Amino acid sequence: MARHLPLAPLATGALAAVLTLAASPSNGAAEGPVSPVASSTLVTYSFDDDTLAAGPDTFAVFEKAKGRVHLSSAFRYSGYRSVEIRDVAGDGNFPELQGYFPLRDSGTLYAHFALLVADPGEQLNIALAGPEWFSMKKGGIAFWLQTRGGWLCQYSDSIPMRLIQVRPFAWYLVDLAYDVTAGTYDLAIREEGRSDPLVALKTQPNAFNEPGSPVDKFSFIGDNGHDTSNVDYFVDDIVLTVDRPIPMAPFVAPGRRKLFLDTWNDGLTSLRSKPSCLPAIDLADFGLGTDAIEALKRDGLLPVLEDLIDGRPARISDRGSPASVRALQSVLLWKGGCGALLSGDADTALERFSKAKEILPGGTLFETSAVLSLAALGRWNEVDVRLAGLDAAWKDDPRLPLLLATIGLARADLDSAERPLRASAARVADDPRLECALVALSKDLDLPLVDRVRSRFPADWRSCLDAALLPEEYYHVLLARRSYSDAGRYAARMASRLGSMNLPTAPWVEKMGDAAFLEKDYTRALARYQESAGRGRPGTALMLKLSDVHYLLGDFEKERSYREAIYGSLHEERDHPPDRNLKGGSPEGSAEEETDADHP
Amino acid sequence: MTRPWSILAGSLLLSVSTAPALVSAAQSPGESQVAALLAPSPDIEAIRAFGPAVLPVLAALYGRSDAARRTRIAWTLYSLGWKSEEAKRVLMRDVHTDDTDLRLQVQWALGRVSNDPDVVETLVDNMCNDGNPLFRDKAACALANDQIHLTEDQKLRLFQGLVDALRDDKLQVRQIALKALQIQTGQTKSFDPAAPAQAREAALQEWTRWLDTYRSHL
Repeated sequence: MARHLPLAPLATGALAAVLTLAASPSNGAAEGPVSPVASSTLVTYSFDDDTLAAGPDTFAVFEKAKGRVHLSSAFRYSGYRSVEIRDVAGDGNFPELQGYFPLRDSGTLYAHFALLVADPGEQLNIALAGPEWFSMKKGGIAFWLQTRGGWLCQYSDSIPMRLIQVRPFAWYLVDLAYDVTAGTYDLAIREEGRSDPLVALKTQPNAFNEPGSPVDKFSFIGDNGHDTSNVDYFVDDIVLTVDRPIPMAPFVAPGRRKLFLDTWNDGLTSLRSKPSCLPAIDLADFGLGTDAIEALKRDGLLPVLEDLIDGRPARISDRGSPASVRALQSVLLWKGGCGALLSGDADTALERFSKAKEILPGGTLFETSAVLSLAALGRWNEVDVRLAGLDAAWKDDPRLPLLLATIGLARADLDSAERPLRASAARVADDPRLECALVALSKDLDLPLVDRVRSRFPADWRSCLDAALLPEEYYHVLLARRSYSDAGRYAARMASRLGSMNLPTAPWVEKMGDAAFLEKDYTRALARYQESAGRGRPGTALMLKLSDVHYLLGDFEKERSYREAIYGSLHEERDHPPDRNLKGGSPEGSAEEETDADHP
Repeated sequence: MTRPWSILAGSLLLSVSTAPALVSAAQSPGESQVAALLAPSPDIEAIRAFGPAVLPVLAALYGRSDAARRTRIAWTLYSLGWKSEEAKRVLMRDVHTDDTDLRLQVQWALGRVSNDPDVVETLVDNMCNDGNPLFRDKAACALANDQIHLTEDQKLRLFQGLVDALRDDKLQVRQIALKALQIQTGQTKSFDPAAPAQAREAALQEWTRWLDTYRSHL
């Protein structure tokens, strides 16, 4: 082993101190960012203290069927408790203790844990994995142990390799040093009471021989999805450290170093700040005139083209007239460019859009997409020049405000993002046309839908499409500008408009809550979140926001209930709740307290 | 929150003994009872509820059915994923049929009813030598995804067959064999199916060395 890890006593006191500190609302992120502290210890659990809070920065417990993940004093390597993981074959699921730590994409990660298996003949799996979760690729599983037929095996270079025959009810101490960049690890396994290691391997290729495979999570489960294991095993003293200290933000609330709302909001901001292709609403977007469309019809390729545009599976062939083939080629290039842009490869995207435009020079959507690529690349002079050209072509297009807002966001020029959206977004909130509201709710703007809108409102179809394109963008831009009151009022107007048509309002009511939360009006935020939750089955994001807001209001019991509804909890078997599924997903029903402050 | 380990549930990296014994078998069903559940499309859950006792009944029905019903039975056997000697025997009769739907279902089902060596051998042969590229491709899919009962020894033979296929003269065969290996192992060893023969040789040597290592750990 490259490094010996101290086994006991573990730093449980430090963890307890962090979590206790986090239990004070005054420490919340709402009071402002707290400076990170450099640390080489990423994770340390001995499972002896009572402040083990599940969450995105600690761990999650999955007990979806009969399997259990419990704190247990029956066996422990140190202190007085360990975690027991017990699987039940044929119950349709597997129990799991899944832990999280900051992504490590370089350096060396040291992992240590103690393991005791009641019946080594049953299967268990232990892994370290990265952002690609437990998949067989780079960023997926990096380190993998498994019991098979009484043997503890490692997966190295995609080969299951027997390490030791496991004795039942014996503690084994596993020490791993994973060199992330090289994609190799040293592994030592000792048995309790024996000084010589049973396993001492050096420079083993990682699970799928992928140098540079990063890691950010660990997992202890029974069998890996085949539902055939009745394993019962115990884990203690999990410690993960790194060779060089890294900045670690302190916990701002139980189980998290950042409030759920901030994490969610940051993710949304990042997503929306990244330019992506605008939807096609007409074949003319691709420079296809009547003749080209007729040629596609004659060749039987029009449905193929439409499938391509709308992202449905399409079988491409090279039959057809040259004009039809050109049309298919250019749209294929455009779709490929959109994919590249979405994945952050703006250079490739720009190249593909340019080629598409060469093939069909009249395609304004190719040019628009090229401008968005330039924005993603930060080539602002070119953006401005080419945008001026587009302005005339798209003067009456409902997507122009969206294009301008997207570019404004990418440029971090929030005024220029908000301005073009303002009037149109406001009109949407007053648009009495039910069909247009339904367009907005469909979340799937494709060519057939646009055609239906056009035939229903031939004189004013563009403003109807505004409903689908603008409100969420406008709301987000207002949040990005920190115009929380305006955002809340806009969300309330949208909710009111949809409500008057008997359409679902829960998402906009939730947005009202978000705006109130960001205004630090937690009481109003809570009311809105509860109202939204009461109007449908609340999603994970809403549950976690409810956890945040209860925490900030000092109701730690409800904070825990909502958080544990998503992340589970560690408890002793006698404390296992009879039904961990909260009715309707809401621990407190559907209170709909009214406050008028954010009503229009 | 996702259940990420389930990503691996369909992988063949691990030896599996999907156990019919786990299913609480009910009484042995009658042929007419099972036949009624096969049309218009198989009611898999209702058939599964009979437990493994339904397997000989399905095999017997298969032997007396037209191609359309044989296709449905093959799909049913695939969905059940239970080992059955009778099912394997009847399916093997159609493993070279020209009926497209039936051929695909049979190729996919075989590895889910049997781990007999001749199943993998036949599928490897179809992957390399069938005249129809679609059948070759789907045989590779079956080898990549559906050999759920293989022991480690048998898995080695599967890998050996796939590595051998990397030497095939046909580009498509090399491509699909590599894809199957990649699905099975997560690796390509930098093998480029379209590269000239000389350039492919280095990666082939890597695969050969890997096979030797795999064998040494059995």
